[in-house]
Amino acid sequence: MGDFKIVTVPEVATIDEIRDEIKDVKTFYLSFENKALDSQFKIKSGQFIMLTVFGAGEAAFSLPPSPENDRFHITVRTVGKVSAALHALKVGDKVGIRGPFGNGFPFEEIKGKNIIYVAGGIGLIPLRSSIVHVLQHKQDFGRVAVCLGARTPEDHMYKENLKEWQSGVPGFECHLTVDIGVPGWTGEVGFVHTLLNKVDIPMDNTVAFVCGPPVMFNTVIKELMGRGLSDENIISTLERHMKCGIGKCQHCAIGRTLVCTDGPVYTYRQIKTLGEQI
Amino acid sequence: MYLIKKSDVLNLAKELSKEYQVFGPVIQKETGQTFFDKVEDVSEISLSAPIPSVPPKHAVFPQLETIMKYKYSGESRKAEIETVFDTSSKALFGLRACDLTGLQCLDRFFMGQEFVDEVYVNHRKRMFIVTNTCNVPFKNCFCVCTDSGPAAEEGYDLNLTDLGDHYLVEAGSEKGKAFAEKLSLEAANDSHLKQKKEVVDKSIASFETFATDSKAWISRVMNRVTTGFIKEDVWNYIGDQCFECGACTFVCPSCSCFNIVDVANGETSHDRLRTWDSCSYEGYSRMAGGHNPRKPVEDRRNKRFFCKLSYSQMKKYLRPGCVGCGRCDWVCPGDIGLPNVVTYIRREITE
Repeated sequence: MGDFKIVTVPEVATIDEIRDEIKDVKTFYLSFENKALDSQFKIKSGQFIMLTVFGAGEAAFSLPPSPENDRFHITVRTVGKVSAALHALKVGDKVGIRGPFGNGFPFEEIKGKNIIYVAGGIGLIPLRSSIVHVLQHKQDFGRVAVCLGARTPEDHMYKENLKEWQSGVPGFECHLTVDIGVPGWTGEVGFVHTLLNKVDIPMDNTVAFVCGPPVMFNTVIKELMGRGLSDENIISTLERHMKCGIGKCQHCAIGRTLVCTDGPVYTYRQIKTLGEQI
Repeated sequence: MYLIKKSDVLNLAKELSKEYQVFGPVIQKETGQTFFDKVEDVSEISLSAPIPSVPPKHAVFPQLETIMKYKYSGESRKAEIETVFDTSSKALFGLRACDLTGLQCLDRFFMGQEFVDEVYVNHRKRMFIVTNTCNVPFKNCFCVCTDSGPAAEEGYDLNLTDLGDHYLVEAGSEKGKAFAEKLSLEAANDSHLKQKKEVVDKSIASFETFATDSKAWISRVMNRVTTGFIKEDVWNYIGDQCFECGACTFVCPSCSCFNIVDVANGETSHDRLRTWDSCSYEGYSRMAGGHNPRKPVEDRRNKRFFCKLSYSQMKKYLRPGCVGCGRCDWVCPGDIGLPNVVTYIRREITE
């Protein structure tokens, strides 16, 4: 609260660059038409924006950029009406932005702790922001492990980041796995929770960030808790159908909370008490 | 406090119509139903009409409204955005206490949370409210159980009470007082307040027994809904009876879920529309890609009653979300209006 937010009327932004990530997933680099906004518009890791694709509508998208020293962008898989229309746009086209909304990851509370990231598929999109931030501030955190699962080797996204994450930064490890091995793949084959076997980090001063489809989420949670991680040290970011982003339309209600204003970042302890499917 | 002759009471509405677009209860000739709507001629207003079929929430939250217009074409690559706010001044004349309470719920929800809803504020901020004490409760009414009637206690500019040949006029705000002073009405005294109390007491006494019997049960059920100690069977039973029509949410004075869609209005122009939505619809929580975390109907029904009755939702409204108007009970084809749900849960508690 108190931070600059575009609440009601979207601000126009230009698509400066489009990158193909993996099949059906593209990254769009955006900058505001009103240049003054680029410096005012500050995001927190874990927040989201409401993006208008003119003519198609508005939808919520999580933010992969780190809050500092990272070009503003969103990474989107084409699944619905708005995302499909976004994928059809070209460099130079305009979109509308409201936000940033949501609570963001609790970096202050986890200072000094070890961090394990577990992401399945495009679950990496919201976690990328946090990983890049933590890597930039490595001295504030303990050891860091990133476990990424994808269906096939081609489905591992953010190739440039992966190269850096796997380059042997002291105290930082990154493991990849695929569900389906293919000739030439020398890495792990299996679901992402199996990568936790490779992570040699004591659980007593550790938090885990988990994001991915519900089936993967549940398996990973079980695995982490089995290793002694408590539910308040498991952090996730939830996805919901959203229309307003400001706590009014109520579409994103889960139990007593609204994902747009109370979330999207929840601890597993909170998720358990919501009384609803995630 | 003032008095106005019964035959002159609509002069208040007439005076308001000089400055405001007046909304009031009107009995529709064709159907005999009451609607609370904009009136062209204030003489159409009937202060003794039965409870309006729909609450006046559409005055602040229309069923369908354009909130934004924009133009964009791939060729020009220039976006022009224009917001559309309703800046008309509205007077709600002859509002019932339950509906005023519903409006207060909406006020607190739209204007009192982390974010203020600008669209709502524009509807609301120039409003003049005249309430009317209910001297005759109707068959489905149970405002006595939800602390929202039959007389309004706060939040009005003027409150009217039928004292026989006169109406007692009480001012509840500076704006209301200034308006009444201007009309040089006859002054009222404590004896008239005493008469008002008699009218209210009589009104309370004539509520259907089901309403007065339920009084204690509402709070008991609220506790159960909050703590979650309600058997799945009860929600399944309620879910089985739900037609998923959304009528309960549309006639509810405090239900305010909305959907937003952009629709074409010409080749390069679009309107952003905000429309009522209902948590009883299957697509309510469905995400792009098809994942729907709230699929079974009993799951969705459960959420509406949770929203109305749980303590944790009270922070939105600073009171229970139900105002006891009885409309959901009246319109529900599946007999699962809120009072019946209270009854089902009550049976489960007592058995």
